[in-house]
Amino acid sequence: MVFFPSVDAVEGIFFEDLQLGQEFTSPGRTVTEADIVIFAGLSGDYNVLHTDAEHMKASIFGERIAHGLLGLSIQHGLAARGEPAAAHGLLSGLKWKFKGPIKIGDTVHVLSRIASKKEGPDAGRGLVTVERRLLNQRSEVVQEGETEHLVERRKP
Amino acid sequence: MSGTALAPVRCYFEDVEMNVPLETPGVTLTRAHVALFVGVTGDATLRNPDSVPDLLPLCLSSGLGWRVPRPPLAVLAFMGFEWRFLSALSVGDTIHSVSLTVTKRNMREGGVVIEERRIVNQRGETAQAGKLTLLVARRPAP
Repeated sequence: MVFFPSVDAVEGIFFEDLQLGQEFTSPGRTVTEADIVIFAGLSGDYNVLHTDAEHMKASIFGERIAHGLLGLSIQHGLAARGEPAAAHGLLSGLKWKFKGPIKIGDTVHVLSRIASKKEGPDAGRGLVTVERRLLNQRSEVVQEGETEHLVERRKP
Repeated sequence: MSGTALAPVRCYFEDVEMNVPLETPGVTLTRAHVALFVGVTGDATLRNPDSVPDLLPLCLSSGLGWRVPRPPLAVLAFMGFEWRFLSALSVGDTIHSVSLTVTKRNMREGGVVIEERRIVNQRGETAQAGKLTLLVARRPAP
């Protein structure tokens, strides 16, 4: 694990540097059975949707699916690898929709776009809204939404 | 073994009560939680070793939600949610969640339940809060 004293300072990206409409594409990641098992253990969410292969054979999905929040968390980690730290830093809000299942073996990636830049709660920070879509290997949107971030302004 | 199968007890759409607060047990946030979460998400951009990733408490609340004095909700799908991050949590903090069903709406395949949820720290302060939309199964015909 790598800890950065100040991620934004390392990259030198501030509120002023993020452009409205700027887009980012993350690397891809294949979601594995191990990811789902670890997430069930960590969260304590053992819903049959994620843990009972036999039960899920009879469901509309036909097999186990990833937890929605696992997809969101993987999205967050992928975004961290595909955009400046300032664009995925301190979260202040989130609106999110789960559109379709993520199955074991699916490969997902994130498309992000800077949707708005506003005044923040204080002079030192601005509020950035980022639209995000999580797509699978067939380019189907499996999750989408927007995240709000407080981003440091460049010191005068 | 006897042949009696234990049918899983579920809370179906019809069983969901409106405006009844459900409080979960607590969980103390540890570096082990953070390490496992960072491993599975791949997000290594933590501010310091004791900071808790913003999304971790919400993920833990989904499991805590199973440990309330009510059978597990027969969730068919988690449809979406809105969430506010009000204050940062640290390793060593103990969180629990409080939730309340505020809307029930009939759908063809089941029912939509909108739940308000708060994540509360050991001092009773709300650290995160929002609304979750869930598709819940109807009670199967006997």
